[in-house]
Amino acid sequence: MKQATPVRALLSIATWLFLGLFLAVALLPLLWLLVNSFRTNLELQVAPFGFPAQPSLENYRNAISMANLPLLFMNSVITAVGAVVVNIAVCSMAAFALARETFRGRTLFHTLLTAGILVPIISFMVPYFTLISATGLYDKLVALTLVYSAVNIPVSIFLIVSFMGTIPKELEEAAIIDGCGFIQRFTRVVFPLSRSSLVTAGTFCFIYAWNDFVMAMILTSSVSSRTIQLGIRFFTSQFITDYAGMFAAIVLSIIPSVLVYIFLHDKIISGLTAGAVKG
Amino acid sequence: MKQRKRDNRLYILMFLAPVTILFCAFFLYPLVFTAWTSLLKWKGMGSTSFFGLGNYTKLLGDPTFRLAIKNNVVWALGLGFIQVPLAALVALILARNPFGWRFLRTIYYLPNVISGVALAMVWVAMYNPQYGAINAFLKMFGFEARNWLGDPTTALPAILAQAVLYIGYFMIILLASIMNISKELYEAAELEGAGPILQDLYITIPMLRGILVTSITLAMAYGMRHFETSFLMTGGGPAYSTTTMGIALYLKMDALRFGEASAAGMLLIVMGTIVIMLLRRFLGREDPQSERIS
Repeated sequence: MKQATPVRALLSIATWLFLGLFLAVALLPLLWLLVNSFRTNLELQVAPFGFPAQPSLENYRNAISMANLPLLFMNSVITAVGAVVVNIAVCSMAAFALARETFRGRTLFHTLLTAGILVPIISFMVPYFTLISATGLYDKLVALTLVYSAVNIPVSIFLIVSFMGTIPKELEEAAIIDGCGFIQRFTRVVFPLSRSSLVTAGTFCFIYAWNDFVMAMILTSSVSSRTIQLGIRFFTSQFITDYAGMFAAIVLSIIPSVLVYIFLHDKIISGLTAGAVKG
Repeated sequence: MKQRKRDNRLYILMFLAPVTILFCAFFLYPLVFTAWTSLLKWKGMGSTSFFGLGNYTKLLGDPTFRLAIKNNVVWALGLGFIQVPLAALVALILARNPFGWRFLRTIYYLPNVISGVALAMVWVAMYNPQYGAINAFLKMFGFEARNWLGDPTTALPAILAQAVLYIGYFMIILLASIMNISKELYEAAELEGAGPILQDLYITIPMLRGILVTSITLAMAYGMRHFETSFLMTGGGPAYSTTTMGIALYLKMDALRFGEASAAGMLLIVMGTIVIMLLRRFLGREDPQSERIS
């Protein structure tokens, strides 16, 4: 149908080069990291590019034994999973009231909660620090869990309320006839039906909590409550010369978010576009 | 019936209480706290005294803080007027569903789910003067090796470049909006004999106006609050060339100058809000299809 003119061919090549540039920027640094995590420090010094002569798990063994990685990993899992549970519990309840009930000040409250997205959270470093210190939660993982679940309230409320709003009223009315009260309408009807939006909101919360660095830096200090992000940050200062080991530690720290992305990227993309597309 | 209504109200309060407590503790209280303590002379845990706008005049008189503001403006412009247009261009291409577009969309967003620490450390290694991939790559084309992050003239562009090229977030939002445009418009254009480029110029881009304004606004707001990547890659150096308001805030706080840190926080909030309001004013908010973005 289309003629293969030279101009068209050139345009097509330019388009693919353009797309390839962004593909390279997104992917090559990560592949470089992965390949180098299997090379030795000497190989790294001699040639930045190249494949390992003898790929070995040596770097991973060093990283795990030297930097206390299993503990840091567990700390991150506990805080991130805790944040997701708290955030989803709290936000799904509030969203139920906001989406399925009518009361005075409802729209105002909803607007206020979602407007939180506009606030630059880093400007709250001082109040978060003083609040967490004053409540005796400084250097405790539960402080991070609370902060992460709270910071994600605007996003979760937005996603869950707009989803709950689409559930047909008839389903709830049927439940009322069957004798369900307020709480059962939530636990038996609306909560299970909103699963898809809860997964999306939970995914965003998990990724934020797993990846956070700033809050962990200002709200914890001891090794026993250190998260993986702080851990890999301090890896270089601990073992100045072991870049290969550092690469291995970074690869390990990335795995959970990449796994979540592989399995749930449809949810993430639909969540991102929920605000961009009407309906 | 009346009884049930009263019960419902009790339950509604019960269901809203947890979110209200968390939101007050981590959004409203910090906002009030920051506004109030920015007016105090408060160093460390000791006593405080009222200082009026003293912290603000001190900060705005400080050349390094002014440099931080300037760098944030550079970030805002870079993200708003380079990253978003690039994302829009890629979205326009992917909207024609070329081979592998779903795969590309997924990979473009991949860096957004990876932690700032990991990415910053990888990019520091990439820019490393001895064994970094960037210099190795440039040397193949006969360019000289440079210490990208160690040189005050190249540090900011080097950090900005990798951030600007991560287009995934805005690309996904724009692509979804493009795919939401009514197909009939294109069918009509096709009948009139308009090719794909004309269709983009006269249908897609005008229809995208609203979401583009929103994207630019968001990107500039992110630029004004930029902190993590620069903090992790250079710590704001060399010679404060990559410092930002967020980094200044952190350094003030670390030095236990809480009053000044709060003033920096207020300036960060206020300037971000001004950027959002100015853009809404000048670029307009008339909006054919998009609403807000989460």
